[in-house]
Amino acid sequence: MSDEKTIKFQSSRFGEQEVSAVSVITLIGGLIGFPDAKQYVLLDYNPPFSWLHSITAADLAFVVVNGAEFGEHYQVPLPKNDTELDLGDNPDYAIVNIVSVRPQPSPTTVNLKAPIIVNLKNMKGRQIVIDSPHCPARFPLWSDESKKESEEKEKK
Amino acid sequence: MLVITRKPGESVYIGDDIKISLQGIRGNQVRIGIDAPSDVRIYREEIYLQILEENQSAADVSSTPPSDLGDFAAAWKSSKKGKLQELAKVKDDTSDDEEDS
Repeated sequence: MSDEKTIKFQSSRFGEQEVSAVSVITLIGGLIGFPDAKQYVLLDYNPPFSWLHSITAADLAFVVVNGAEFGEHYQVPLPKNDTELDLGDNPDYAIVNIVSVRPQPSPTTVNLKAPIIVNLKNMKGRQIVIDSPHCPARFPLWSDESKKESEEKEKK
Repeated sequence: MLVITRKPGESVYIGDDIKISLQGIRGNQVRIGIDAPSDVRIYREEIYLQILEENQSAADVSSTPPSDLGDFAAAWKSSKKGKLQELAKVKDDTSDDEEDS
């Protein structure tokens, strides 16, 4: 008897999707500005990017990136006193950051100021706000160096 | 909106769990103390609005985001551990937050 329960949901971008029930993330309070949509899944897109897709609102989805990609200087203060998120003393968690895609030529940026912390033990998450000038809400995806490197690779 | 006048040292309760205290006045700034359960989130309005705006604009993404995401993903894969622009190297000119004491 299979206990791999799946959930189906509608995506206005991708059509009907089916995912395993245990992969559903519950964002406590939803996202700032979207308080009613609390249940999401991560869909593969193009590593290191994924889609954070609502399973209750068909057109609500965000491109996200793993916060670990920003190196050791991106320190996210863990909300250890958050009883609902319940990270505990030995937390198993992931940090996901929302990517803001703008019409060219505006730069694509990542929101380092409001990361989403996901407790991998209970699959609950919360978008927190880091009130620090070192964590901008619009962190450019490309530095001049990495863009040059990528352009040079394409020429070869 | 309920508007209440308080003197420094006086407080207001919001429900049973949140207490706002007027700590003092310095020039044109008012110091506000907030006692709330640790999972109640407290934001300065301008920060809250900034995140709100950023989330809303990020939600407005098409199913085929522009090529620079694809370019980056390709570069990331080919360098195997290619990093996004590391935080330490960035000159932060995108934030206008003040540093509170």
